[in-house]
Amino acid sequence: MKRVLIIGGGSGATFLANTLDRRQFETTVVSASVLHMFQPGLLYIAFKNAPAGITRAERRLLPRHVHFVQQDVTHVNLREHRVRTQAGMELTYDEVVLATGVQTAAARIPGLEEVNAQFGDYHSTIEQAQKVWRHLAEVRGGTIVIGQGAAICKCPPSPLEGVLLAEEFLRERGLKSRTKLVYFTPYPRPYAAEGINDIVAPILQARGIEVRTFFDLDRVDTANRTIYSIEGEQIPYDLALIVPPFIGAPITYEPAEVLDEDRLIITDKFSLRVKGVESAFAIGDATNLPTSKAGVGAHLEAKVVAQALAAKPARFDGRTHCPMDLAYGKGTFVIGSYAAPTVKYAPSRLNHWMKAAMARVYWISLRGWLDPLFDVYFRLTAPEKLAARKAHRLRPAA
Amino acid sequence: MAETEPRTVVDAREESCPGPITDLAKAYRRSKVGDVIELWATDPGVKADVRAWAAKTQNEVVSIEDQADKVVAVLKIHRR
Repeated sequence: MKRVLIIGGGSGATFLANTLDRRQFETTVVSASVLHMFQPGLLYIAFKNAPAGITRAERRLLPRHVHFVQQDVTHVNLREHRVRTQAGMELTYDEVVLATGVQTAAARIPGLEEVNAQFGDYHSTIEQAQKVWRHLAEVRGGTIVIGQGAAICKCPPSPLEGVLLAEEFLRERGLKSRTKLVYFTPYPRPYAAEGINDIVAPILQARGIEVRTFFDLDRVDTANRTIYSIEGEQIPYDLALIVPPFIGAPITYEPAEVLDEDRLIITDKFSLRVKGVESAFAIGDATNLPTSKAGVGAHLEAKVVAQALAAKPARFDGRTHCPMDLAYGKGTFVIGSYAAPTVKYAPSRLNHWMKAAMARVYWISLRGWLDPLFDVYFRLTAPEKLAARKAHRLRPAA
Repeated sequence: MAETEPRTVVDAREESCPGPITDLAKAYRRSKVGDVIELWATDPGVKADVRAWAAKTQNEVVSIEDQADKVVAVLKIHRR
């Protein structure tokens, strides 16, 4: 029986462990935390004061036959198939799957650590997200700056979701006329992918949100409450909610060349094998794949790896399918793939409802029980199909 | 252009959302004045993005070329 070691305790790792056939594989999950967090929930804690119950015990999300080891992995020797933990435990494997995620790295931008510590963020912990809510709830006027601090962002729609939900909150509280909302991004337009930008740019304008594009955050001057860009621009703030840069987990690899400069694992974008070594795959946020860092990606990548481990044909197509909250009860989806550009997907209440429903079905989805449904849904919403349907609708009548 | 100029090749072919501009922004962050960035992409929208980026950041588009399998944009960094 093949011994599969999965390093990580997020959605990709958990789903994969649930998927692997117990008759073929002896599966072990090793994770630093006993808890599993539904990470998209942080957005709603930060901007809607949602309840903090977004974690479950990882052990209970895994089938009984899967071994769960709560240890912090510090060294992975991909040549010798050996893994060492902080507590000195050594694990060996036949095949390893690296699902180690990313972590925030505010220290990479001068002043950002201080700003995130002061006002919170919605990409790390429940406490940090609650801090965002406390500061937002105290706003009586002034300038609120929300934006993306670096080019790589976990959950790419989330910076915009933050500013849209903040606007909804301010309007509901009757604070809109006394508050200026500024959104900044290093990209040439509010959302990098054009299909979705065509949807959100008019919404931002209609809601009176000032947008600063090509604003690549260089530093934060906390004494003068001003952020500066590499391009030489500045924005003063009273409240700054800045999505920090992200880097890979602090694990030492042998060979070290499997990591890029952001400590992301250099992964073949189709086979999901770690470049240059045998018997190693990487999935989810931990990879350097040119696609969105999001739970749905980790899930789809885990399916590909499960196929590959079972010696079946497997190829990842780069599919993204990220829900995006546009506030006021509406949402859209960011749908694309390596081969198909992001689709212009009309906002609707149904899309918003589906995002809200995911928060409820997430835990079941990790068990793989919903995958027959997901498979059909993803086939029906393939970006190529949606684009063809739209082209058909737009064709003038003969 | 002198051959000695440091040139960073950024391969952003077949990238899905958020796309090649992410890689350009990353390369720009690491660059210094005088560097040359060569961006490869298959997304046709990259041409307009690169021009807009260069205009905004006051850097130079040396060339944008359609090749058989990709678009190659060469940028010279004048401002950091």
